[in-house]
Amino acid sequence: MSTYTDVASETAPTSRAARPNGFGGVMPALIFVAIFFVVPVIALLLRSVMEPTPGFGNYAELLGSTTYLKIFANTFIVSGLVTVISLLIGFPVAWTLAIMPTKLASLIFAVLLLSMWTNLLARTYAWMVLLQRTGLINKMLMATGLIDKPLALVNNLTGVTIGMTYIMLPFIILPLFGVIRKIDPAILQAAALCGASRWQCLTRVLLPLAAPGMVAGALMVFVMSLGYYVTPSLLGGTANMMLAELIAQFVQSLVNWGMGGAAALVLLVVTLSLYAVQLRLFGTQNTGGR
Amino acid sequence: MKARIALAAFAAIMAVSGAAKADTLVFTSWGGTTQDAQKAAWVNPFTDKTGVAVAQDGPTDYGKLKAMVEAGQVTWDVVDVEGDYAAQAGKTGLLEKLDFSVIDKSKLDPRFVTDYSVGSFYYSFVIGCNADAVSACPKSWADLFDTAKFPGKRTFYKWSAPGVIEAALLADGVPADKLYPLDLERAFKKLDTIKSDIVWWSSGAQSQQLLASAEAPFGSIWNGRMTALAASGVKTDTSWNQNITAADSLVVPKGAPNLEAAMKFIALAASAQPQADLAKATGYAPINIESAKLMDPATAKTLPDQQTASQVNADMSYWAENRDAIGKRWYAWQAQ
Repeated sequence: MSTYTDVASETAPTSRAARPNGFGGVMPALIFVAIFFVVPVIALLLRSVMEPTPGFGNYAELLGSTTYLKIFANTFIVSGLVTVISLLIGFPVAWTLAIMPTKLASLIFAVLLLSMWTNLLARTYAWMVLLQRTGLINKMLMATGLIDKPLALVNNLTGVTIGMTYIMLPFIILPLFGVIRKIDPAILQAAALCGASRWQCLTRVLLPLAAPGMVAGALMVFVMSLGYYVTPSLLGGTANMMLAELIAQFVQSLVNWGMGGAAALVLLVVTLSLYAVQLRLFGTQNTGGR
Repeated sequence: MKARIALAAFAAIMAVSGAAKADTLVFTSWGGTTQDAQKAAWVNPFTDKTGVAVAQDGPTDYGKLKAMVEAGQVTWDVVDVEGDYAAQAGKTGLLEKLDFSVIDKSKLDPRFVTDYSVGSFYYSFVIGCNADAVSACPKSWADLFDTAKFPGKRTFYKWSAPGVIEAALLADGVPADKLYPLDLERAFKKLDTIKSDIVWWSSGAQSQQLLASAEAPFGSIWNGRMTALAASGVKTDTSWNQNITAADSLVVPKGAPNLEAAMKFIALAASAQPQADLAKATGYAPINIESAKLMDPATAKTLPDQQTASQVNADMSYWAENRDAIGKRWYAWQAQ
């Protein structure tokens, strides 16, 4: 039905069979995870409750200040906005790619991947130059007479949303493409033959079938956006600062690791919770694990 | 047998890398044109003179420096930091005391020497303007804060550091000798009046780009960036009226692996000729009082040390003391 089910049902039995006895087989992986993930997180946790004074003062300060709460809210608003716009643009693109001739589709994929592999900073700077008041986009709009004053496209929410959506698009197109390509066109034909309108074909057949891909892609984009640093820092104004930049300020500029650790942990907890929600809703359910 | 060969090879590699480590000094600065100039003016002559190879790292990162010292794994020997940070880090035990039997401080501008640091170069926040893009350029901090007289975007330094708060207070009419202790309440109130017209610059290159493209045709800029902008062909206007000085400093992190070589490096970097060479390349002023006579008068005239009559010295010890408290307020104000 979906890539999720396919991958899971193919790999699950083999991995179970390959597991020799108890934890033995997965020990190296566990040790790896412990060293590179668990230990640093515990160190961070310790710092957040030990510095500058022992206790939960950092968390109280973080969650008790309107400034920091505003930054939390900004982070979610920007991430949500980017996710929705990515879906709206990504879905038609993935659909078009899925039904176009393979050769042409692979060419477009190459372009997509190439843009993904180009240095993030370079791409962000390019947007900065394009979007500024004296930039190409404003100049073109002014020349065509559509506007007579330059639009404020950068150093604000608009700039961050444009820049981040552009960077996130491949992450939503790829999973969507995988799901859509697996949908049998005959199902849509059958729906049409049975009298479904185009709108009904879309909302009652195509979208439900593509839902796992949409959720997987959207969640990936949302979660990645939560921790984004470079693009919001360069294309955004200070009034819509995101959490990652706050953490960077605590760690680099204020050298206050207690607060930095607390903010980082809040971000981590939110991210992991979202991941758990996804697993619960779409992971285990589909594989029939429960 | 195989194991023994492997062991021998391993030992050899360790010996070689150990030797390499002892002979290589690591110098960390902010990158970009300034670090290029530091390489030409300081690093190359140092290697020529002492035979000690110098590896360069960057950009300077205070979080990283602290992490290294706390973990006892210091890989940086000499680091270029901001003056107020140097004063603070010295107090909190993150730095080695400098050896002034190796470093001759008799010729150094005393404003920029502490037990833990000597100046690297000193710069001024000036009022810079792209004269091609606007009909009139602001001449004073009050002008820069006057959106009726000078409409449009203006650019300021994004990070919490000496400069912008001082400028706001000067613009609001606080006399230069009454700046400290900083009246933050008053400064932020003044900054509020232009908040929506501020475009922040976070790197020197960005400040240049903002001015050159006329995205923000004027603002508070490091003087060296105005020199570079003028050299690139933009018609610039720089007002030195109440230029606000601050300095970068050279420091040695606590537990640096090449302490002795680090002291020698700083001794050379702070001496007259290398300071003069760096000033020529960057447009920032030397902290060695003998450097000026080693430069041609035309170049020397463009440096901040020629503008002392209208100069306002940022108080580094005040900033070191209040760095954290100001920083917290600064970022909270920005985010609102």
